Amino acid sequence: MTSARAPALWLLVLPALGLALFFLHPLATVLWRSVTDAQGAFTAGNYLRLFDDPGLPRAALRSLAIGIATTACCVPLGLALAMALHRSRLPGKAFIRGALLLPMLAPSLVLGLGLVCLLGRNGLVHRLTGATTDIYGFWGLLIANTLYGLPQVVIIVSAALARTPARHYDAAASMGATPWRQFLDVTLPRLRFALLAAAFLVFTETLTDFGSAVVVGGNYRVLAMEIYSEVVGQLDFGMGATLGVVLLAPALLSVWLARIARRRQDSGDAMPGRMLLPAKHAWRDAALGALSLVALLPMVAVVATVAYVSVVKLWPYDRTLTLANYTSGMPDGYGPVATSLGMSFLAACAGSVLVFALAAGLRRAPRGVARPMQFLASLPAAVPGMVLGLGYVLAFDRGVLSGWFYGGIAIVAFCSLYHYHAQAFLAMQTGMRQVPDALDDAVAVCGGGTGHVLRDAVMPFVAPAAISTFFYLFMRSMVTLSGVIFLVTPDLGLASVTVMRLDENGFLAQAAAYAMCVVLAGALALGAMRLILHVLKERRHVA
Amino acid sequence: MRPHRHIASVILMLAVGVAHAGSVTVYSALESDEIATYLDAAKKALPDIDIHVLRLSSGDLAARLLAESQRPRNDVIWGMAVTDMLDPRIAALLAPVHGTHIDSMPAAFRDRDARWFAPTGFLAALCVNREALADQGLPMPRSWNDLASPAYRGQIAMPDPSSSGTGYMLISSLSDAGRDPAGMALTLGIARNVGQVTLSGSAPCKLARIGEFPIGISFAFSAMQAIRQGYPVTMVIPEGVKGYELEASALMKQAARNEDARRFLDWTASPEAAALYRGYKEIVAAPGSVPSAEQQREGLPADLVATLPVRDFDMAARERAALIARYKRLTR
Repeated sequence: MTSARAPALWLLVLPALGLALFFLHPLATVLWRSVTDAQGAFTAGNYLRLFDDPGLPRAALRSLAIGIATTACCVPLGLALAMALHRSRLPGKAFIRGALLLPMLAPSLVLGLGLVCLLGRNGLVHRLTGATTDIYGFWGLLIANTLYGLPQVVIIVSAALARTPARHYDAAASMGATPWRQFLDVTLPRLRFALLAAAFLVFTETLTDFGSAVVVGGNYRVLAMEIYSEVVGQLDFGMGATLGVVLLAPALLSVWLARIARRRQDSGDAMPGRMLLPAKHAWRDAALGALSLVALLPMVAVVATVAYVSVVKLWPYDRTLTLANYTSGMPDGYGPVATSLGMSFLAACAGSVLVFALAAGLRRAPRGVARPMQFLASLPAAVPGMVLGLGYVLAFDRGVLSGWFYGGIAIVAFCSLYHYHAQAFLAMQTGMRQVPDALDDAVAVCGGGTGHVLRDAVMPFVAPAAISTFFYLFMRSMVTLSGVIFLVTPDLGLASVTVMRLDENGFLAQAAAYAMCVVLAGALALGAMRLILHVLKERRHVA
Repeated sequence: MRPHRHIASVILMLAVGVAHAGSVTVYSALESDEIATYLDAAKKALPDIDIHVLRLSSGDLAARLLAESQRPRNDVIWGMAVTDMLDPRIAALLAPVHGTHIDSMPAAFRDRDARWFAPTGFLAALCVNREALADQGLPMPRSWNDLASPAYRGQIAMPDPSSSGTGYMLISSLSDAGRDPAGMALTLGIARNVGQVTLSGSAPCKLARIGEFPIGISFAFSAMQAIRQGYPVTMVIPEGVKGYELEASALMKQAARNEDARRFLDWTASPEAAALYRGYKEIVAAPGSVPSAEQQREGLPADLVATLPVRDFDMAARERAALIARYKRLTR
C-alpha cells in the first residue's frame, strides 16, 4: 500500500557488496584451492584424501560430539542468564552483565591459560585442595567452549527479551496461568528464533574454533586442529581448504533460520504499551540466581586466575606478589593496544551500520532475496578464522585493491568484522523482530519514507540490539587472532598478537599481564563509549 | 588517527616502490626478545639501513610466505627452520646470497648453492619438572628409550610433528627420516606415552614449567630459559640420537639487487652477531664458539657443535609429507 510495505531493497546494496568483496571473494579464493592442484589444474584428489586419512573421520565425529554437547550446555544456561537479566528481580544484574563481558574482552590465551592454571593437573584447585584434577580432553574442551559461547547466547536471547510489553503476561496471569505456564506459553514461543539462532552460532563456532582445542584438548583431536596442522604445519592449503569446506556444512542449518525469520507470528506487538516489570517471585529468582552463579563462577574464576598469575613472581612456585610483569620484558611496548583500539572502533562502526542496514533491508525482502542473503550473512560463523585470514592474503595481496588495503589497518578491521559477522547479524535480526509491524505501517501512512520508518519505528526498538552489536564487534576485534595473524606487518602490531607472542616466547607472566591490560583497555573504552551514549541520550530528551 | 597514517604509508610505499633504498623488510621466526637484542646491535653497525622486522612462529611464517609468494612483501628471511625453508615452493622464492661473513661460515651451516646459511640452530632437549616428577614418584629420564617406558604413560607433553618443526625434527631424527625401523618403533613408543600434544615446539616445555606435565619434549633454548627464570626444571639432553634443526636466513629473489638486504644478512653471519647469539642459542655456527659457562652449568655439553650428526636437510624437507602421513597412520 505504501513505501513501508514495499521492500527497501536499496538498504541491502552496501551490505551485500561488503559481503561479496570482503567475505565471499576471499573465501572463494581459498576454497578454489581445494579443487585445484599445485599447477592450478582441476582435481578431486583432496576430497578423496579425506577418506584416506584414518584420523579425519574420528576427528569429525569428535567435533560433532563436542559441538552438540557445547550447544546443549550453552543454550539452557544462556537462556537462564538472559531470563535472570530481563525477567527477574535479582539484585546485582550489573555484576551478571560485567561477568559476561569478561570472556569477550579477554584475548583467547586467557581462557585456555586460566583453565590450565585453575583446573589443570597442577592448577590452583589441585594445590589448594589436593584433589586430582585433569581437564585435558573432552571435559576441558566442553568447559572452554561453553565459557566462550555463553555470552553470545545471552546477547541474542536478550535482544528478544528486551522491550516486551506487559500485556501478554497480565492477560495470562488474569486467566490464572502459573508463572511456569507463562514462561512456557508466552515467553518461549517468542524466543524460538533467538534460541535457534543462538544454537546455530554456538554449534558452528565450536566446530571451527581451535583456540581452546589447542590448549586443553589433550589427545582429543578435533577437525579444527587438523585444519591448523594441514595449513600451518604442512603448508597444504588445498587440504586445509578442503577441511574448511567440510566445516561449512553445518552452515546449511541457517536455511532453517531464514524460514523461521520470515514467520511473523512471534514478531513485536502492534501496541507496545507498558513495559514489563517482573513480578515478585522468590522461587524463580532463587533458581535463576543459582543457575547464574553456576554459569558465571567459572568465568570469573578463570579470568581472576590469569589476573593472579600476572601479579606473582613465578607461577605456581613463587607466589610473591609483584607488579614487575607489567613493566619489564615487553619488547613491543603498549603501542599495539592503541592500534587495536583504533582498529576495533573502525570495525565496530562499519560493522554495526552494515549489519543494521542488512537486517533492516531483509525485513520485507522477497523470499528469493532473503534466503540467500540470510545464508550468506550467517555463513561466516562456519568459517575458521585461519581460513578467512588466508583467503584475505590470497585475495588482496595483488590486484587493484592491494595497493589500498594490503598492510593497512582497514583490512585487519574488515577481516575481524566479517569473521564475527554472523553473530552481529543474528543479534541485530533478533532485535529487529521486536519491531511491531503496525508501527511501520503507521509511520508510512503518515507519509514517512523508509528513512522515517527506520528512525521512528525501527530504531527505538532495535536500539538495545544495535548497541550490543556495536560493543560485541568492538570487543571481538580487540582480541581476534586467528585471521589477523596473516595480516599483521612489521609496522602494524596488534595487542592480541603481542599477547600470543609473549606466551610463545615463554614469558607466561608477561603474557598474562599484557592480556590483563587488553581486558582493562577494552573495559575502559566500553565504559567511555557507554558514558558518551548516555550523555547523548539525555541531551536528546532535553532537546 | 592511526588508520589514516597506515593507509597513507601504504600508498607512499607503493609510490616509492616496495623495496626502496635504505629500508629492509625482514620476516623472522626468532623470538621477540632476542630479535630486540640483535636489532640494537645491527642498527649500530648499519646505521644507514632502516630495518623492519615481523616476527611470526615458524609455521605461520612458512604459511605467510607461501600465501604471499606471487608478490612477496619481504626482502629477507631471518632465522627460519631450514626444513621449512627447503620446501620446494619456498626455496623457489630465494636468491643466492654471498658476503664476506656468509662465505666464511663452516660448510655444514650453509647451502652449497648459497641459497641459505644458518648462523644458529636448536637442539632437542627435555624439560623435566623435578617437583612434578617427584609427585608422581618417577625416575629422571635419561635417554629416548626411557621415554618409551610404560612408567611415563600420560606424563609427557610433545609437539605435534604435523604442526611443529620441533615435532617433525624429533621423529625425523629418531627414525632417520623413517628409514630405521627400530627408530620408528621408538618414536611410536614415545607417542603412546604422550598426555598432551601441542602445536608448537616450546609449548611442552611451558607445560612442564608450571608442573602440568612432568616431562616436556622441547628444545634446549626453552629448557635453559626455564632454568634462568627459576622454575624447578632440569634440562636433559637424551642419550641416543641428537635431534637438531638449523635456523636459516636467506635473501628473497625480488630483493636480489637490494644491497642493503644483503649487507644486513652478512651482518647476521658476522662474529659480532655470533657473540650475541651465544646469549640465547645452544647451537652457534661460528667457529670456536663454545657454550657459555652458564649454559654449561645448565647442562649443555661443551663440545656440542662438534658432536652433531650430519643431517640431510634437503631430504628431510622432501620426505616430510610422507613421514608425517605415516606417523599419523601409526599413532591414531
